[in-house]
Amino acid sequence: MQDADQISGDLEFQRRIGQQGSSPHEVPSLPVGQWLRKNLFSNWGNSILTLLGSFLALLALRGVLNFVFSENREWDAVRTNLRALMTLSYPESQYIRVWVSLGFVAGLAGLSAGLWANWGGVSVKRLSTWLMGSGGLLAVCVIVREPSVILGSDGKVVRTVDGSLQRESFLDAMVDRSTWWIAAAVLLAVGTLLWGRFTSPDRRGVEVSVTSVVFVSLGLAVLSLWVAPYGHYAFISETKSYVAESGRTVAFSTKLPWTVMLALLCGFFYLGRILRRSDYAGLIKGASNLLWLISPLTLFWVVLRDPALDYGHVMSTDLPMGLAFGFLGGAVLWSLTRPGVGEAGRLVATMLLVFAIFNWVAAFFGWYPMLQKARISFLLLAFAALLAPNFIGEIAKRRQLVLGWLGVTALVHYLATMINTPSTVELQSSEFLGGLGLTLFVALIVVLLSFPLGVLLALGRTSKFPIFRMLSTSYIEVIRGVPLISVLIFFSVMVPLFLPDGMELAELAAVLTGYTLFSAAYLAENVRGGLQSITKGQYEAADAIGLTAAQRTGFIVLPQALTVSIPQLVGQVISTFKETSLLAIIGLFDFLRVANSVIPAQSEFLGVKREGILLVAMIYFFFNFTISKYSQRLEQRVGLGER
Amino acid sequence: MSIDDATTVANDRLADREDMIVCVDVDKFYGDFQALKGVTATIKEGEVAVVCGPSGSGKSTWIRCINRLEIHQGGDIVVDGIELTNDLRNIEKIRSEVGMVFQQFNLFPHLTVLDNITLAPIWVRKKPRAEAEAMARSLLDRVGIPEQAEKFPGQLSGGQQQRVAIARSLAMEPRVMLFDEPTSALDPEMIKEVLDVMKELARSGITMMVVTHEMGFAREVADRIMFMEGGEIVEVGTPEHFFTNPTEDRTKLFLSQIL
Repeated sequence: MQDADQISGDLEFQRRIGQQGSSPHEVPSLPVGQWLRKNLFSNWGNSILTLLGSFLALLALRGVLNFVFSENREWDAVRTNLRALMTLSYPESQYIRVWVSLGFVAGLAGLSAGLWANWGGVSVKRLSTWLMGSGGLLAVCVIVREPSVILGSDGKVVRTVDGSLQRESFLDAMVDRSTWWIAAAVLLAVGTLLWGRFTSPDRRGVEVSVTSVVFVSLGLAVLSLWVAPYGHYAFISETKSYVAESGRTVAFSTKLPWTVMLALLCGFFYLGRILRRSDYAGLIKGASNLLWLISPLTLFWVVLRDPALDYGHVMSTDLPMGLAFGFLGGAVLWSLTRPGVGEAGRLVATMLLVFAIFNWVAAFFGWYPMLQKARISFLLLAFAALLAPNFIGEIAKRRQLVLGWLGVTALVHYLATMINTPSTVELQSSEFLGGLGLTLFVALIVVLLSFPLGVLLALGRTSKFPIFRMLSTSYIEVIRGVPLISVLIFFSVMVPLFLPDGMELAELAAVLTGYTLFSAAYLAENVRGGLQSITKGQYEAADAIGLTAAQRTGFIVLPQALTVSIPQLVGQVISTFKETSLLAIIGLFDFLRVANSVIPAQSEFLGVKREGILLVAMIYFFFNFTISKYSQRLEQRVGLGER
Repeated sequence: MSIDDATTVANDRLADREDMIVCVDVDKFYGDFQALKGVTATIKEGEVAVVCGPSGSGKSTWIRCINRLEIHQGGDIVVDGIELTNDLRNIEKIRSEVGMVFQQFNLFPHLTVLDNITLAPIWVRKKPRAEAEAMARSLLDRVGIPEQAEKFPGQLSGGQQQRVAIARSLAMEPRVMLFDEPTSALDPEMIKEVLDVMKELARSGITMMVVTHEMGFAREVADRIMFMEGGEIVEVGTPEHFFTNPTEDRTKLFLSQIL
């Protein structure tokens, strides 16, 4: 029975390979007229549906355009508050810290893309259709938007006798929008030109790399900051007044940093490309992954917050404690990896785990004080001790574990110290960052941290050790049975109550912990779906060639399982990103909340909400659409190349 | 026919060889169903033993017990002097000395052919990558598909995949090779290419235990043929004895159906 299942599974697999392996059948493209007749106007019914559909689409488009460009919209509110939308009340004098952090991330993103990415190309023919399409859409938009209202000499709208608005004539409106007409015409012309040159059978395969398309688009966007008259708008917080100078380009302090960001992105991308071929490629890839894990926390709490270290406390408490955990723990691990340590090792590890968990129970009931850092360190040490049996053997192997422990201890103690040190940045609210910065930071950190945790939970749930299975399953089920809001409230309100005296855990840190734990449970279920798709034969083959359980998981099972679960994982990333807006409920000022309640409270823009929310929605959509598109490409590539 | 007889009918050239696989009274249960009933056999170093029998006779179960893919509940299995127990170190040691080829190939679809072959030598045997790759390429040459090294398993035919699987097992330089119906999932025209590789392997002197229905292969290269039915070894003998003069009625019946 099982064999039969396996055979049918394998046949299914073969069939998929067959489909993917063969090149897609080339359909000769029809001339436009014939294509329209075949697809849209093939009979009366279809023609009516086509016309009706287009009419509804145009109506919707007209509604949106009229809303966006209506004379009632106060876009000044958004333009003036862009800084608030990005970082809320982060002091302007310290803005260099924001740019340094952003620059670091841009460089790292460029480096990683250069090291890993293999995006391939997009055909010029396809690009030309995009250009023609956007040109056409622009032209349609220009036509369907209703003519503007006529403004009188006093700058107010002119009304007719019966009180209705007076609008300019259709022809006048079209003439007024001549700039847009020119833009649409240029797009259409360039698109048509490319289309004409690249449709012949011998040239239709010509491609440009996706990288150059991305860099050229980003380059054009940054260039437009230098030349396009976006206008200079700012909110001066000291005087509570706002500057609005239309007709000039954006402020120098905006366009210069963005140019630097682009330069960093491109520069590190090409550096990554070069390093990829060097002998140290593996080492550098590992280092860049490590940086991704460490940098968000470091940038946020160290660079942006600029903690005021109390060196007396550091020297008397923090440093000795870190050193003690590092070296004593290292010594324990060293002895636990002695060849022939046998059952005693497992016993010590279990006792450590019991002790570590007991510390948390004691904290819950307040039996004895202990620094949170110590509790975390004991827990980590217990986990390392449980891992120790995998490292029993020659000196090099044992050294790996001890060095890993030293690294983790240094990192955890450093970050814990930094997080617990008050900030020197002058804060205007309880949290120093808000807006899009906060949203992106929370989303990034939650995705990064919950990923390894989720994979571990999924492995635990499918493990053959009953205790791991039970712990993971009950964790996942409990978390999945609770709404995100309640987890966030619990962590922001309840957790600080259980912290011992003198231990301050910033609200945000507590919330991040809660959100990460929450997201990990969902991620674990997605990964588990992938794990279940791995056939028994793969496990047996891995066993038969002598791989250890850890090697089997790392080299055979996880790569295949994660590939299978890409669509669900991306869905999880997108929903994590969107649900950061729930942070508003526990009092943090995320992106949406700034638009929804900070801007409408300013005296100049009292009650102006719609513009901000529209912008916020557009930005959310931009990010999520990009992620979704990228994942589609990733799926395609993984499916084609590696099966 | 007793086990003593089975040893005496084995090929003369194996008379003074070491015992490679020793099974004594091996029992295996799936719930209430007993799949192996006191299987006892000794396979000498360098011997090519073919196991045949009707489906459900326990032959695959037995061969899978030998590298612990299945756990036997009674009796002893000793491979190259190491007894199979629950001790993880013994299991790992045996697995790195025993290669196995599966009916469904079980190649790793996300790795190239070359990576499939070099994975275990690099991570289990701790060989330098360059050395492992050189060996993988010479093994691919030996199984006749040197040009497929950079492809993914999904891009190969069934016969080619099975030959890669054989190369993957050989890359661990095993002392014993187990074949679990290696040609059953192949189209007829691909069976020969795999059997040719196995014949070449048999002549190279490696110990082989092959579960198969390919009687032509058995007649040509086997030192001994074991016939199983209902979880027991019913008859053991040289190919000559087995095909010309079987003693058991059940063997005769099986041969009359399959030949």
